[in-house]
Amino acid sequence: MIQVKNLQKEFRIHQARAGLGGAFRDLFSREYKTVKAVNDLSFTVEEGEMFALIGENGAGKSTTIKMLTGILTPSEGEIVINGYVPFKQREEYVRSIGVVFGQRSQLWWDLSPMESFRLLKSVYKVDGPEGDKWLDRLIEELEINPFVSQPVRKLSLGQRMRCEVAASLIHKPRLLFLDEPTVGLDVLVKQKIREFLRNLNETENMTILLTTHDVSDIEALCKRVLVMDKGKLIFDGLLSDLKEKWGNGTEVSFQMKKRTPADELRKTLGEMPCEISQVNEYTISVKVPQSQEMLPFVLSTVMSTFEVSDVKIMETSTEDIVRNIYQVDTGVRGHA
Amino acid sequence: MHKLYMELIRMRFLTMLAYRVNYYSGIIIYAINIGAYYFLWGAIYGGQQQLGGLSVEQMTSYVAIAWMSRAFYFNNIDTEIAQDVREGKVAIEMIRPYNYLSVKTAQAFGEGIFRFLFFAGPGIFLISLIIPFHFPATATGWGLYLISLMFAFLINTQINLLTGLFTFFLFRNDGMMRAKRVVVDLMSGLVLPISFFPGWAQTVMGFLPFQAVNYYPSLIFTGAITPGRSWELIGFQAIWMVVILVPILILWRMARNRLVVQGG
Amino acid sequence: MQNVKHIFGIFADYLGQYFKTRLAYRADFLGDFVSNLISELINLVFIIVVFTHVPLMKEWTRDEIIFIYGFFLVPYALFSMFFGFWDFNERYIIRGEMDRILTRPIHNLAQVCLESIAPDRIFGVITGLIIMGYAAFQLDLTFYWYDLFIFIGLVISGALIYGGVYTAIAAVSFFSDSRTGIAPMIYNIQQYGRYPVDVYNKAIRFVLTYVLPFAFVGIYPAAYFLRKEVWYTYAALTPVVAVIFFGIGLLVWNWGVTKYRGAGS
Repeated sequence: MIQVKNLQKEFRIHQARAGLGGAFRDLFSREYKTVKAVNDLSFTVEEGEMFALIGENGAGKSTTIKMLTGILTPSEGEIVINGYVPFKQREEYVRSIGVVFGQRSQLWWDLSPMESFRLLKSVYKVDGPEGDKWLDRLIEELEINPFVSQPVRKLSLGQRMRCEVAASLIHKPRLLFLDEPTVGLDVLVKQKIREFLRNLNETENMTILLTTHDVSDIEALCKRVLVMDKGKLIFDGLLSDLKEKWGNGTEVSFQMKKRTPADELRKTLGEMPCEISQVNEYTISVKVPQSQEMLPFVLSTVMSTFEVSDVKIMETSTEDIVRNIYQVDTGVRGHA
Repeated sequence: MHKLYMELIRMRFLTMLAYRVNYYSGIIIYAINIGAYYFLWGAIYGGQQQLGGLSVEQMTSYVAIAWMSRAFYFNNIDTEIAQDVREGKVAIEMIRPYNYLSVKTAQAFGEGIFRFLFFAGPGIFLISLIIPFHFPATATGWGLYLISLMFAFLINTQINLLTGLFTFFLFRNDGMMRAKRVVVDLMSGLVLPISFFPGWAQTVMGFLPFQAVNYYPSLIFTGAITPGRSWELIGFQAIWMVVILVPILILWRMARNRLVVQGG
Repeated sequence: MQNVKHIFGIFADYLGQYFKTRLAYRADFLGDFVSNLISELINLVFIIVVFTHVPLMKEWTRDEIIFIYGFFLVPYALFSMFFGFWDFNERYIIRGEMDRILTRPIHNLAQVCLESIAPDRIFGVITGLIIMGYAAFQLDLTFYWYDLFIFIGLVISGALIYGGVYTAIAAVSFFSDSRTGIAPMIYNIQQYGRYPVDVYNKAIRFVLTYVLPFAFVGIYPAAYFLRKEVWYTYAALTPVVAVIFFGIGLLVWNWGVTKYRGAGS
């Protein structure tokens, strides 16, 4: 459904000279620096996938999503989505997509969301009973009925955001883009929106792409994750693989019935490459780097050798993983 | 405190420099405007020696210098204030340890200096090459003009502060601010020297501050009046400056109280 | 073609939206109306005051000049009704509203026009007609039945000329990475078409005819109704100039859109 090949976007950025003299010289001749915001990006997406694009600020996510939605023209490379080239066949293409910008409203500030929906319906030429039914469903599932007739400027951020989502879906697009959809929302609203999106994906087989800073969004919604850094794609795969690759492994904490020194455990596990540390006299924690193969062995060995009263398994959270990626990266940057 | 305002003036000056398109389009606009009015007035004078107390040559200088003076005194701080009010930024400005209105005036001054040096300077030079143009012959003439221009800036800025302050009470007053701009252009003598108007209109305008914004300094520049009369006009400007200060302070007080009560 | 039909189709919807919004700010409606009226009348004041001192301006009488001004107001008001995006740079580029526009299935210029439509400028048309009517009465002009259609054609052409030039100027915002002062530019250049071009020298006359063809908005078409046969060729060329300049404006705009950099990151 989405095919992206060797996508590039370059920006020319004006380098301001310092001071009064510099500003005066800038008036007549300027220095520019070319920055590759997106560098050689390739990936494909199947219909019905739900995936996330993550990365630090300035990694190129926004630029990518703007190229995918046809807002920006790529410097090089190809994009074909739903059979269209977004920036060339913009007006036909955008009928098949919906876009939610977390920071930017598509509702008329002074009017009620309902008025905006009505106008958007005629913009997208949505008419007939089917369109009405679809809108009713959106209103019901997003639970926006109580305030859909109040002016947008009087709505809370959470209420407004749900209306934004409804507005972007009015024409029943096959593909939905969400750029930072949950910034600043409280947990309940976040959950509501996520639930709604998941349901949409299941019942309508809608393809959903989101960029986010909020790792819990990804965990709740996406199987597939793309990680960008400095304009490049540094990871494309399943969330579980991402954890495997960048995670700290798994930490298992054993609560023993008797006092047990860490050395004893070490002996039992033999040459196993794992980190063992004494938390207190009764508690020992074992850190396993690659969870899938080693974890069962560690668990069964320890459980059969010692009398264990409690076991806690602590998986690295996606949040830690993301932090790891960035830290590793800054490490590299430091060496360079 | 003094340092803060110097810094504000400098900042605005630098900001103006950063907007390159603005700069070039500004020069083009001023050049076209002065050129167009120059020929228009040529056509109006036809063969006549004097109209409204000015000769063709004086009229030419008047048109050019009126636009150049405008480059210095013109600013948009009323729309800036309106924006601050609408976006709620003004509440933040209130808790800062400076006077909001003085800050705006300082910024306007930075803008004025920029335009004066980079628009009016080169502009006047270019125009003096193309059309006959008379500079004041004496240092006194220049001095009088610059003093008068400074007052013109202050009075126009005060008028802008006044219209800007109305936003506190009306929420939206874009219409009023736009109307003010055209009224000031007409009544300040930018498009027509005040002496061209019929007697009754001149009497009415005598009771209004607008001609102190442009007509006085431009008239002083053309040398159509004596130094004694020039000092008299500058005296009028000083009086107007004090007079307009009164409603500004009253409105400012009301605005602040209102802000406290309504919470921005 | 179908797209154009769609644009006109949703025109009514946007108009409805405009009035609903407007009702929320009734006070401003009056303010806009008064300020527009004042700016329209101030130019009239200029003409009247000047003619208290001189009988003629290069063979043109006061009422002829007033007629030209009245005519000019009609296409100008139409233009500002449909091309009311004075704050294009600020609103669509710096605040990034263009992002949203580009994700909607209607030509982006049409959307920007529709969103900033100003139906209250119809009063400008009325003011223009009244001024023209007054001058026509004073000059004792005669009209034929087909003049009405010529008038409509010339007025639409005039509005399109302004629209084209303005669109091209607004498109500068796509290329620049900072605030651009396009609003004052239009505010200032709008006035040149309304005096007879023969008062200007050759260079300005050339500019007003071929570069920024504002003479085709005021003096040239108005000359037809004043029965000044010298200018008939120019008057007849008005629609051609309109098509050319609006086309150029559209081209520059479309090119600019491909250079759009988006706001923020």
